[in-house]
Amino acid sequence: MTLIGISEVMRSLPELWVGLRFTLLLVFASLAIGSIIGLFVCLGRLLGRGLLVGLCATYTTIFRGIPEVVLMFWIYYCGPLLGGFRPSSLSAALVAMSLYVGALLSEIFRGGILAVPRGQAEAARSLGVPEFWVWTSVILPQAFRIVIPALIGVAALTVKVSGIASTIGVTELVFEANVTAGQSYRYFEMFTAVGVFYFLILFPMSMIAKGYERKLVKRRK
Amino acid sequence: METTPTIEDHDSSIVDIVPKSARGVLRQVRQSLDPVSVIVLVAIAIGIYNVIDWSQIRTLDFGIIIKFWRPLATAAGMTIGITAAALACGLVIGILLAILLELRIGFLRYVLNAYIEIWRNTPLIVQLFWVHFGLPMVTGISTTALQSGLLALTLQSSAYLADIARAGIQAVPKGQWDAAMALSLPARTKWIEVILPQALKIMIPPLGNLAVSFLNGSALLGVLSVGELMTISTRISDYTSKPIEIMTVVALLYLAINVATTYLTSRLERFAGAPR
Repeated sequence: MTLIGISEVMRSLPELWVGLRFTLLLVFASLAIGSIIGLFVCLGRLLGRGLLVGLCATYTTIFRGIPEVVLMFWIYYCGPLLGGFRPSSLSAALVAMSLYVGALLSEIFRGGILAVPRGQAEAARSLGVPEFWVWTSVILPQAFRIVIPALIGVAALTVKVSGIASTIGVTELVFEANVTAGQSYRYFEMFTAVGVFYFLILFPMSMIAKGYERKLVKRRK
Repeated sequence: METTPTIEDHDSSIVDIVPKSARGVLRQVRQSLDPVSVIVLVAIAIGIYNVIDWSQIRTLDFGIIIKFWRPLATAAGMTIGITAAALACGLVIGILLAILLELRIGFLRYVLNAYIEIWRNTPLIVQLFWVHFGLPMVTGISTTALQSGLLALTLQSSAYLADIARAGIQAVPKGQWDAAMALSLPARTKWIEVILPQALKIMIPPLGNLAVSFLNGSALLGVLSVGELMTISTRISDYTSKPIEIMTVVALLYLAINVATTYLTSRLERFAGAPR
């Protein structure tokens, strides 16, 4: 046994590649579903009335306040008992992550829309711009520009949360690393390699977000 | 009268829903029974009614929680304790890192930035495994699950807190720095009595968010069987084979802890006074 097992890591690259594909699948799918959920919850909070507003606010509080691990366990182990359905570990993880991402995104969308200066919408309305165009060509484009860094942040967070799916047995990156490390007993090398994988995905994202944020601040000045 | 829905009218949270007077109650009820709300709620209720297996619901026995309340409470306390300890250590390390970064020592800056970026840009679960299974193979020192859990949480929180502390320090108005320099205060006095107290005030809101995300993150320690809430709850649900009851209550416990933390943060923010 050599001191540093680079060869073991190289040998298990195919497994890690399979894991990486599952990780990316989880991330993209939950971001897609989560943004639809987030959009509806955000609209419900901003435009809805009465109970709907409370319902949407409660949704956000609940799914931001429950740890993702607990949520995944709940859906995976309790879902089958409560409803007739039997989710695979992948779909359970996907549902849990989508609910979580939806809660985060609803807050970000809402923050972005509220951050557009009030005068913008008022000016458009007083010019007689129809309500539809006030939203689609005045409020939303500006809101989108404001929330881009936060959106990248949520995407990065989703990548990190996807690692938790290994606890219910989704064969993504962390899971594969655990299995292959268990075979070769090269935990240090394997988890360093996986850490590097994640870092290579996440570091550029955080740099882009930071750079864009700096640009936004500069523009505002 | 129908008015165009504007954003400002509906910027309410759960707290705002509590009415203030009898007339308020009436208005609240009338507003709550807005047709769109009612339709959506009924649709959701019908959906849930159809999905749920009601024969299962009848067999649920939440009495099990009363039987196991003591270990659950202890474990919840441990979750809070672990998170608080990790955040406290992380805060000290983070502030030190931020001060070192502000001193702008060429080479050291790159090292510290690398440290911060590494811990910020990898998932907690990988760090946990790395610390628990990986590090002992290199250092030869084997750590208990609790030690590695605490270590991983502290390392990650120190990186996040260094970033928050850096932002807090940079947000202290320039006049304060100039004043400290004009009075030729020694470096120690400048930091401890002028800059840091003001920076800490600015740091309170992001600190509260971080506390919530680390309370959620601490549930991951269940993977290593540290003995906090997640560990204990999986153990109890395996033992009693009543996962629904235990998991539901544990989820609500975490939710309660997080809501309480958010509330305490906002109180602390008000207590400390608005910065600047």
